[in-house]
Amino acid sequence: MKERCRETLERAYLFLDGELLSVSERHEIKRHLEDCAPCYERVGLEGEVSTLVARLKGCQPCPESLRLKISSLLDETR
Amino acid sequence: MADASPVDLTEDERRRFQADALPLLDSLYGAALRMTRNPQDAEDLVQETMLRAYRAFDRFEAGTNLKAWLFRILTNAYINTYRKRQREPQKVSADEVEEFDLYQELKSHDTQFEATPESIVLDSLVDSDIIDAIDDLPEQFRLAVVLSDIEGFSYAEMAEIMDVPMGTVMSRLHRGRKALQKRLWELARDRGIVKGADGSGNQSSRNESSNQQSKTGD
Repeated sequence: MKERCRETLERAYLFLDGELLSVSERHEIKRHLEDCAPCYERVGLEGEVSTLVARLKGCQPCPESLRLKISSLLDETR
Repeated sequence: MADASPVDLTEDERRRFQADALPLLDSLYGAALRMTRNPQDAEDLVQETMLRAYRAFDRFEAGTNLKAWLFRILTNAYINTYRKRQREPQKVSADEVEEFDLYQELKSHDTQFEATPESIVLDSLVDSDIIDAIDDLPEQFRLAVVLSDIEGFSYAEMAEIMDVPMGTVMSRLHRGRKALQKRLWELARDRGIVKGADGSGNQSSRNESSNQQSKTGD
């Protein structure tokens, strides 16, 4: 694996999570992903799995009974 | 839990807590459910979290991140009270995670996985599969994946919530995601979506039927 590929993949999560990278580092990774199909696929796959997990947000909302119970407990707690 | 000490909040603080914290119940409950993996425990945990937060709300710094603050209380309450009686899943061992490479697995088994990362394997997984896979993760990994990928917390916020250094957050998240990918792959294999190493599974028949569908759709 080329050095540039290794660097890109090491920083893939930071890149996908929008974390801790300077503008120029992000730009460097983007440029490499445009040029390198295997890295593009790998990073894209990581992103796809995270998107699958993100889909769970709100899929099991707080039951209405619990919401009401907490609301009335807060009212009573003085 | 039955703490009867009076709450020392101004009327304004009471109103603010109700207005700002109650809308976060869906997030808190969803995370509690992934932590405890049990609806009754999740309800108890959320209730305890909200009452603890309410009692401590005079110490919350207005203008800072209320959601992260509530999640820290949720995480503490979970660790102190509920974790002790939880079964710890053994389906994913922390050690063998590093070696797993979903990309290579898909490359060699998923004929649709080509120039784009769209994958018939991932597309075929439903929400309950993802939930099962998350629930099978070791606790620290599970928490990191839930906080980051479901709740969208930053690494810095997660470090605050889990009370660990940022490097630990990153390592748990990395290994958690790897472990999750491994588990999702195993689920897909068990269901016959992809062929296992032993040749089980019915990938070819899936491909035939999808070819037929595209023909009739023309």
